[in-house]
Amino acid sequence: MKLNFLMTLTATASLFLAGCAYDNFEAPESTLSGRVVYEGNAVGVRNNGPQLELWEDGHALKSKIPVYLNQDGTFSASLFDGQYKLVRRGDSPWLQQATDTLIVNVKGNTTFDVPVTPYFTITNESFQKSGNTITAQFAVNKIVQSANVELVRLYLGKSILTDQVLRDLRVDGNVGSLVFGQSTVIAGEIPDALKNLDYVFARIGVKSTSSSEYIYTQVQKIALK
Amino acid sequence: MKKIYIFIALLTCLSMNSCKHDEWFERDPKGMITDEQLWNNPELVTSLLANYYNRLPTLHGVFNTGGMTELDDAMWSGHRDQNWRNDYQFGDDYGRYWDYGFIRDINLSLENIETQGVKLTDAQKRLFKGELRFMRAFVYFEMVKRMGGVPLVETQLVYDFSGDPTPLQVPRAKEYEVYDFIFREMEAIKEDLVPNNASKTRTNKYTALALESRAMLYAASIAKYNNLMSAPISTPGGEVGIPASMANDYYTKSLKASKEIISGPYALFNENPDKGANFYDMLNKKTGAEVIFAKDFATSLKVHRFAYDNIIKSMTEDNESSSTISPSLSFVESFDYLDGTKGTLRNKDAAGNYIAYTGIGDIFANKDARLYGTVIYPGTTFKNNPVRIQAGVAVWNNGSYQLSISAELGKNYTDGQLWTGFDGPKDDATDVSNTGFYIRKFVSDAPAASTRGTSAANWWPWFRLGEIYLNAAEASFELGQTEGLGYINLLRQRAGFPANSLTALTTDIIRNERRVELAFEDHRYFDLKRWRIAHLVWNGSENDANAVVMGLYGYRVVRPGYADNGKFIYERIRPSRFRRARFFRLANYYSSIDQTVLNNNPKIVRNPFQ
Repeated sequence: MKLNFLMTLTATASLFLAGCAYDNFEAPESTLSGRVVYEGNAVGVRNNGPQLELWEDGHALKSKIPVYLNQDGTFSASLFDGQYKLVRRGDSPWLQQATDTLIVNVKGNTTFDVPVTPYFTITNESFQKSGNTITAQFAVNKIVQSANVELVRLYLGKSILTDQVLRDLRVDGNVGSLVFGQSTVIAGEIPDALKNLDYVFARIGVKSTSSSEYIYTQVQKIALK
Repeated sequence: MKKIYIFIALLTCLSMNSCKHDEWFERDPKGMITDEQLWNNPELVTSLLANYYNRLPTLHGVFNTGGMTELDDAMWSGHRDQNWRNDYQFGDDYGRYWDYGFIRDINLSLENIETQGVKLTDAQKRLFKGELRFMRAFVYFEMVKRMGGVPLVETQLVYDFSGDPTPLQVPRAKEYEVYDFIFREMEAIKEDLVPNNASKTRTNKYTALALESRAMLYAASIAKYNNLMSAPISTPGGEVGIPASMANDYYTKSLKASKEIISGPYALFNENPDKGANFYDMLNKKTGAEVIFAKDFATSLKVHRFAYDNIIKSMTEDNESSSTISPSLSFVESFDYLDGTKGTLRNKDAAGNYIAYTGIGDIFANKDARLYGTVIYPGTTFKNNPVRIQAGVAVWNNGSYQLSISAELGKNYTDGQLWTGFDGPKDDATDVSNTGFYIRKFVSDAPAASTRGTSAANWWPWFRLGEIYLNAAEASFELGQTEGLGYINLLRQRAGFPANSLTALTTDIIRNERRVELAFEDHRYFDLKRWRIAHLVWNGSENDANAVVMGLYGYRVVRPGYADNGKFIYERIRPSRFRRARFFRLANYYSSIDQTVLNNNPKIVRNPFQ
């Protein structure tokens, strides 16, 4: 009886404890993190919107690693150490550079800023609240000479994730009177749903005709009380 | 000694007789059909064709309940395990289709029928080959409208074991070359298909023309509208994007094909004096001369479960599922009023007060009859039974209405009258409408059609005359001709409008007519793509009435002593199961090509934005 028990125990132990050596793969331990930058400043994007792509050479078949961007332009990816190629995809607020890859050497925790060429930039932005009106002052600059502005918009929202998709208020600016490099103003009335909050979040977005994604300013928190 | 005689006798018996029946060894195998048998027997070829017909591709069509809930016309109200359809974003690979297995099967058949089919007559061969070439063009059309230009392979590709695979690597054709291929093929085979002209389930001359009419219209509108975009979507090699100069030629070709069908043996379905029921019968019954080419189903032989998925809740004949497709408010509102005014439902007046209606269906009175034929809304019937759609009661309390719904469907309110109807609508519930509407189109009313044991056998129309009229109207309008107005007025007349209800066409009218006439027939996704407005209509904005699927809930007024007591008011709602606005990005105009395809064939260029 005792022998039987021991045998069962040994058999169980060897089955459950020893059998798994073959399916244990090492998890990626290094982290690549960084920002999407233009002239040293992070570029604001839509949350869960534009992506970067990583590719690794040396394998017979290729498969991309998508890298998602946070709304403030930062990103991070868990990877194995090695050399990767980073691609700036199209349908983003910056120029597609599909063939102009960046080499990224990942060793341990690596920080890497990805330079991009946005169609436009938004600078000198400031948000003022007076009464129930939020006034945004900013300047739009043209970076890619062939690009055209389609829309300039002010967004208000109740969370830090405020953009073209998630927002409570959207006000269109006048594209016709927009002068590049000159200060522009868009004013918006705080909607009833937000009036009683302690603070709201505001953001400016500019869309070029070449892409479905906007470039945004960083989100501004505006105290209402 | 005796043994020797026996031995000789045996030897004689065995060796003299046994070899005269060689054929005994050469019997046909019972378990397989040889090429020689197949390609020389018209019945076997027909059954092979049946297999191919069954494999014709579609995106949201052929009773694809799930696919129909992925656009702005409807949301998913079925089981929660598929609620992702209300909470997803079109991925870069949405609609990807790359089926060279099917293309190879067809190419192989075309070659074998030529080399092995010695006993077929010439006419038989021409007919079979015509059908095969139609299907090949149909598959290429499905690929080009989703992926842009694809490799045009018209023969079997056989590897020669030389160690060099480059002869097998076919580059992508230009987008317009694929459309030209479709046109060329249809022109070449249409006369060969004449013997099938009486059939609606095998391709005939008019099916070939119908594909031509649709494909040429697609090519024309891509040529025109892509180049009107501020940044046209194209690749340097023309795999994506058609030169604007080709638009007129394509529109002309489409119009010519459409007119040939219109002057053919088809007629708009008009068998039921009730215009709404007539529109439903058109696709539900297999009579009439409207349908040009259909995928047929038959009880106990080949069935589908569209009725099981989508039967209105109170009329279910089976358990576990019903009411899956909930049409959207924006779709219901796209049906005009019969007096020609816009279809926006008037639930509140200019001051924002509710407008009370005597009957729960009265808000839908005098709407385009196609609404009745497509959608089940409050106050209508299905299978001759009244539907029980009512969201709850509106109780007047301290100067405003309080909307109250019962915890259980079908219960009565404290005043003894209906509280929430057994058909809902109910927010955040499964297997009952979440928008206040049910689908009627394609839901069979045959006995036991919504049971899983019997299932439905109504057919799927690939092409019908209604679409051809709309194709002709659009093409002639784009060419600056006036005859399109008459075609659209005919369709509207069938839907209950007076004769000549429109006096002029606009692109918006044509586009809206296509939305209401061809709803749930696998057109809308591709229509919006070819007009290059998909990214504007499905803009991802959570505040947009088209990108978000909304609903309309009707409430019975409880306000004793006042005129409105017992009447009905309506509230626009956003169903809480609908989680994310439809968001179509520029990258979705052409689906991304699978990485394994790119790995295997270095000559394939990627799509824009991929």
